[in-house]
Amino acid sequence: MRRSPLLLALLLTAFAGCRGVPSAPPARPAGANASAPSKGVIGVSLLTLANPFFKEMGDAMQAEAAKRGYTVAIVSADMDAARQKDQVNDFIARKVAAIILCPADSRAVGTSIRAANQAGIPVFTADIACLDPEARVVSHIATDNFAGGKLAAQGMIEALRGKGKVAIIDHPEVESVLQRTKGFREGIAGTPGIQVVAQLPGGGMRDSAYKAAQDILEKHAQLDGIFAINDPSALGAAAAIEKAGRTGITVIGFDGQPEAKQAIREGRLYASAVQFPDRIGRMAVEAVARYMSGEKVPAETLIPTALYRKADAGKDPALK
Amino acid sequence: MRSRLGRLWSAYGMAGVLVALCVAFTWATWREESPAGAAGGAQLAEALGARIGQGGGLLVAPDDAEGRAFADGFARAAARLGALPPEATFGDPPAVRAAIERRVARGAAPRWVATTQAVRDWAVWGSLRSGTPELARLEVLAPKPVWRSTFLSTSNLRNVADQTAVIAIIAVGMTMVIITGGIDLAVGSLVALSAVAVAWLIRAAGGEGASAPAMLGASAAACALCGAVGAFSGSMVTRFAVPPFIATLAMMLVASGLAYIVAEGQSIYDIPVSFTWLGRGADLAGLPNAVALMIVLYLGAHVVMTRTAIGRRIYAVGGNAEAARLSGISVARTLLFVYVVSGLTAGVGGVITASQLKAGSPTYGMMLELYVIAAVVVGGTSLSGGEGRVFGTLIGAFVIAVIRNGMNLLDVEAYAQKVVLGLVILGAVLLDRWKRRRA
Repeated sequence: MRRSPLLLALLLTAFAGCRGVPSAPPARPAGANASAPSKGVIGVSLLTLANPFFKEMGDAMQAEAAKRGYTVAIVSADMDAARQKDQVNDFIARKVAAIILCPADSRAVGTSIRAANQAGIPVFTADIACLDPEARVVSHIATDNFAGGKLAAQGMIEALRGKGKVAIIDHPEVESVLQRTKGFREGIAGTPGIQVVAQLPGGGMRDSAYKAAQDILEKHAQLDGIFAINDPSALGAAAAIEKAGRTGITVIGFDGQPEAKQAIREGRLYASAVQFPDRIGRMAVEAVARYMSGEKVPAETLIPTALYRKADAGKDPALK
Repeated sequence: MRSRLGRLWSAYGMAGVLVALCVAFTWATWREESPAGAAGGAQLAEALGARIGQGGGLLVAPDDAEGRAFADGFARAAARLGALPPEATFGDPPAVRAAIERRVARGAAPRWVATTQAVRDWAVWGSLRSGTPELARLEVLAPKPVWRSTFLSTSNLRNVADQTAVIAIIAVGMTMVIITGGIDLAVGSLVALSAVAVAWLIRAAGGEGASAPAMLGASAAACALCGAVGAFSGSMVTRFAVPPFIATLAMMLVASGLAYIVAEGQSIYDIPVSFTWLGRGADLAGLPNAVALMIVLYLGAHVVMTRTAIGRRIYAVGGNAEAARLSGISVARTLLFVYVVSGLTAGVGGVITASQLKAGSPTYGMMLELYVIAAVVVGGTSLSGGEGRVFGTLIGAFVIAVIRNGMNLLDVEAYAQKVVLGLVILGAVLLDRWKRRRA
């Protein structure tokens, strides 16, 4: 019998650590928000929280939701489609007012969205679209990735003065990234002086992109530019170039994360097609709020990118 | 007295932890909620009583099965009361708003709206009241809420069981491997390989038009492929004395790479809807099919481990391989058997995952091996081999699933969830160690 108090203590510590659960039995609803004047909970499952892009998007959602009287519950799918399915099921069990998803897999997410549809919970997607035609998504808010890829291509053409060999570090599992590479390839197609000599998957993360870039550099002694589909990949590529002691390789990223902007200022990256994750997050919550108050919302909202170069970094007050 | 309690604890300790977790989450998710569906509609109609007949009402429900059931329940109860049910509007917030504004425009603004709890919480009512003077005093009525726990709701419990199924099924094979003193790190990658293989085979067999026998064959082939990978790891362990950790680590990379090659780095989704029967269907009294399969596999594994010669050999090899060999047990064949079973169960896990997600992608199963090993260890199987029970593993898998689900229901921040889960796994193992020392 002496053992059970310890067991209980352990359990309680586990709970106390995660949320301020009141120690008295719940006279008031312990569902936290039931007594608050919240208009409801918006369940959000982001692709990952290891990438600052999604962190920024989540923070913007939180701020916008607070302004509009909603609460958000943000979870990270850790790029795992099966985990995201579980998270959506949890949202359905909680009966959230609406769900915002950044799909971990544009196809597999369809079954989860259909389950939410059946439960009468509206689903919105942010940044990454759902490609299952049978799943009902109220509204999709994302960067115009295709145009962003073309913009990056323009930056590349300008940096290489229309002539050179370039490589692409991509991450073809993600639909939005496919659009970027498509845009980039189309953007440089009109400049015959520029050739794409390699296209390798970099996993969308710095460490794996670093290895991909090392392989590209190993194989191509003559290389003038690398287009990386996001900033972590671009920073990984830049690190590989520095380690190999190569110079004169133009690296262009995508996202506009603070660390990448700093690297652009230092000249390690040439440019980045800046996305506005805060605007995506804000507009996604705005779409939910407008829809819930009975307004019609557009099926798709695309947010344009801007090319951020050294000159912009020089004027950026956020950089020191 | 002490020793009997001690025995009780050592047999059912983790089950006690599971019950305690369930009680704690039930308590923490206790809140008011209106009854839904037909029962909710009937209850609201009875509460409104004579008011229905006085008119000026509108029934609003979402345009889905549950919303229709709510409206039906309301209409039937109203008829029993001898009142004409109010007009009904079905749809999402913009549709409902448009419908009500049309009514206002023709001078028939409703005075009250009967609806479900979810719809009552829509922000549309606030903006209608403030934006349309005729609706300033609109009442929105939902069935009287009752206290209940979100965690303990049937749908959530089914949800937890569903989330456990894949990990628990893979953990059957893992339990056997760990009882022999080995480990199988390849199961996460095998889930990806199996999911991709089954999706690829179904696509090859006609895609969305594939027949049921073809899908069954594809599933069996995917499982067999994973069993073959398991046999390969097993023979590396037995024939070349490669440590299991290394052999299966290598196969983890091989299987993951193969999955990417087969799928060409993409997800394969040309699968008929009927394929989701296994992962999303619930044919047996509301029990999800994957959970039913899990139960069958656990019963089978329990019989194998406790009632058959091979089960006794597995324990013997894990307890002392040399002694087992001297008493005439073929250690190599026993080890080969457990790695094949581990591969097969991982294959089944992959087929279920593909069925749940109606797609096969090489990214599935990332870090899954760690959760599976955690479930086995939390379930009381010793990593040094020789002891452990399959039902202990099932409890371990549920402990992990319940913690994850509970934290999601309680809004625990994503980063903190990992910390809590890690600490709970550690705590469970420490408790187990402590218990063993005392018992």
